[in-house]
Amino acid sequence: MNVSFGFSQTKDHIRATNEAVGQAIIGLRGMHADLAIIFTTIEFTHPLVLKTVNNLLGEIPILGCSSLGIITNKGIFKHGFAILLIGLSQQMFFNVASVRDINKKTALLAGRELGEKLLYGYKTVRRNLSIIFSDGLISEGTSLINGLQENLGRSFPLIGALASDNFTFQKTFQYFNKELLSESCCGVLFGGGINFSLGIKHGWKPLGKVRCVNKSEGNVVKEIDGRPAVKLYEDYLAKDTLELSEELRRISIFYPLGIYLPGEKEYLLRNIISIKDDGSLVTQGDIPQDSKIRLMIGTKDSCLEAAAESCEDAERNLMGQKAKFVMVFDSASRFSLLGRQCVKELEIIKETFGEETPLVGIYTYGELAPLQSISYLGHSHFHNQSIGVLAVGGQ
Amino acid sequence: MLNLMFIAICMVIASMGISLLFKMQRLKELEKRADALNASLEEMDEQAKLIIRTDIELNKTQEELDKKITGLSTLQQLSREISTTLEEKQIFKKIGKFYLEELGFEKSSALLWDNLTREFHLYLSIGYSESESLRIKDAVNTDKDYYLDLMHGGKTASSVFIPEGFLDKDKICQLFQANEFIICPITPKEGNQGFIFVGTQNIETRITEGEREIITILANQIGQSLDNARLFEKTWRSQQELEIKVEERTRQLTETMEELKKISKRKSDFISSVSHELRTPLTSIKGYAAILLAGKLGAIPDEIKERLAKINRHSDELVHMVNDLLDISRIESGKVNMHVETLELAPIVEKVADLLSEQFKAKNITFNMLIPEDCKKIMVDRSQIERVFINLIGNALKFTPENGSISVGVHCSNKTIQVDVKDTGFGIPQEAQEKIFEEFYRVDNTINQGVKGTGLGLTLVKHIIEAHRGNIWVTSKLGEGATFSFTLNCTE
Repeated sequence: MNVSFGFSQTKDHIRATNEAVGQAIIGLRGMHADLAIIFTTIEFTHPLVLKTVNNLLGEIPILGCSSLGIITNKGIFKHGFAILLIGLSQQMFFNVASVRDINKKTALLAGRELGEKLLYGYKTVRRNLSIIFSDGLISEGTSLINGLQENLGRSFPLIGALASDNFTFQKTFQYFNKELLSESCCGVLFGGGINFSLGIKHGWKPLGKVRCVNKSEGNVVKEIDGRPAVKLYEDYLAKDTLELSEELRRISIFYPLGIYLPGEKEYLLRNIISIKDDGSLVTQGDIPQDSKIRLMIGTKDSCLEAAAESCEDAERNLMGQKAKFVMVFDSASRFSLLGRQCVKELEIIKETFGEETPLVGIYTYGELAPLQSISYLGHSHFHNQSIGVLAVGGQ
Repeated sequence: MLNLMFIAICMVIASMGISLLFKMQRLKELEKRADALNASLEEMDEQAKLIIRTDIELNKTQEELDKKITGLSTLQQLSREISTTLEEKQIFKKIGKFYLEELGFEKSSALLWDNLTREFHLYLSIGYSESESLRIKDAVNTDKDYYLDLMHGGKTASSVFIPEGFLDKDKICQLFQANEFIICPITPKEGNQGFIFVGTQNIETRITEGEREIITILANQIGQSLDNARLFEKTWRSQQELEIKVEERTRQLTETMEELKKISKRKSDFISSVSHELRTPLTSIKGYAAILLAGKLGAIPDEIKERLAKINRHSDELVHMVNDLLDISRIESGKVNMHVETLELAPIVEKVADLLSEQFKAKNITFNMLIPEDCKKIMVDRSQIERVFINLIGNALKFTPENGSISVGVHCSNKTIQVDVKDTGFGIPQEAQEKIFEEFYRVDNTINQGVKGTGLGLTLVKHIIEAHRGNIWVTSKLGEGATFSFTLNCTE
């Protein structure tokens, strides 16, 4: 596997694309590239960017999405264009696909369709890993995963991210070949024995009593402990519904809900997107009925500790192989919470994998990844506020 | 047997009863423990609530503190850049995207009111396309009265607080495409005032008091820098104007000087040629008068002799005047070669006094000479300096009544000596003192009318002294005599 990385933060998006792709091509030292993964900040999301990449690289598959910032070995950038060129060995395979209009189709159907498309041509080949980039404004992340899993298998390792914009929550973008998409989802399915490992952690700790979700439908939690769900926040934060609504995003970052998963060290986090008139809480992923939940609390230190654990997990599970490249899906909420200290997260990643290992990452509005536990091995979940570290070691 | 059975049943029942009693007691205890556990759980939950509420406050404070630290450090860097800029538009160019983002915003506009065109002009636009910037400018000008009121009132508007009478929040948000914003007046003391807008689309941001303060400081800093830039511009312009004026005046003066030099040269040339032309016929007149007086052409009557003597005397005066004029002209034009040498001052003065001794005697005037030991030697042309003393002492003699006194005093400092020729004469009126060294100037009074003179003596003296790089001046009070002072270079 050949990997090369290019990045530019030049103001002009076409010049930036030229510079970054140029760097990546030089880095390949004449070797071929089969797949390009591109990440850009929101002001670089322009069809001409894709056209420029195509002009420079020829007709190779392109995948990617927008982000509020780009994480690289050189730092965290609020403006820029990043490209990762991957050249695969003959024993490795991949297939790319996309699905549009998630909101019209519903996340479940979109996931199902994408799964089906990704499987195309994989009847006789062992499939290993799928990387998914989805619109960041969908509210049913779990349904998307469920749809994908219906075709790819329940315990198939799905890794991915929900694209972000610059905290305006207006529009996120996905790149698929020559198309600049929105409200869409695209992905790649690798097969033929690719060695990879993953670490995903958040660092939030449970606080207060265990609560029971008595009534819920998908990502709408209606009742907790026999009372309207919003009462939980009203009690803990001593604020009424109106006050909570005004500060919901902040509150949701600092105090998300945590779903207890038997046998897991960490709870699965759920951000609150909105509060309904009947007191129901709309979360970014599903919370099944009868789930045991708790209010979670996080600090900058616990966030950084989680980043370190996530990196260690990814590094350890690569079984001694050196990572060819590292891809980081870091929650936008963590970026908000950590503020200036987000560079410490980058330092932790670099310390674990080495300064020279190609590193590219984005800030996400949701993360898709399996949990690292025996009982849930391979079973992907929809995460919030987590840092997912994917280390790919080649064959 | 039955009894035994009855007793056994009773014992079983009793033991069962006892066991039930125990179990009930244990159940009660367990219930109590469960209640206690629940109570402590509830207590812990209450503590958790307290922790969360405290944590909210702590987070808010920390966030505010972080913003302030970042804001202040950015503001410091920005202020340093702005304050060293002395060009209005450059001041706004210094507020780049980087600094704006460090302050927590990604959109900014600054507009200044132009009193002449009666509209706002755009000086800064970050995060907007050209057409968006234009639209903002037009919309601001449409609602200019609101913005002018805000500026004149020195009020700051923000998404958290809109001052009374200003545009509503939604309208501003829509115009500037921001969810949160601050609008702060820029009020320099002089010249055009305006306002700066900063905003963000980030829906997680809430404008804090700290941010409002920081943007207010920034706006004040911009105002001060605008004042500095305008003052600099004004000073620079006046300096330019002054330089142009000085250049013009210098040119005029140079031209005048050149003209004066030409005139002076023409005058000297004229005097010189006229004097030469006069001297030849004068010599003839004087010669013939002398021949006639001597009776070489025969005896002449006394009356004619008397007239001839007058002709002879007046011719002498004329020759004397012509010589003086020629000397002045030569000195002025630099034609006289000065033979400067180190000489003793006292013998020169003594020689002149000796020359005029008859006149001293005739008017019974005492002559004093006070030359200290340490300033006896001077660097002069002997013949010229003798003329100076002859003229000055001669003048003093003319204007000093009988029984008066004339003195020559000398004192020196550094390499210069000052000679004072003092008399006890009639003195010179104040208004005449400035003109006395001019050619042909004679003080207009009855005393002067009785004293003969050409009006060229002091002019010649002045020229000689200046040719020796010295100065000459007079101090006098009417009725108290006059002192003519001049300076000369001396040797150590």
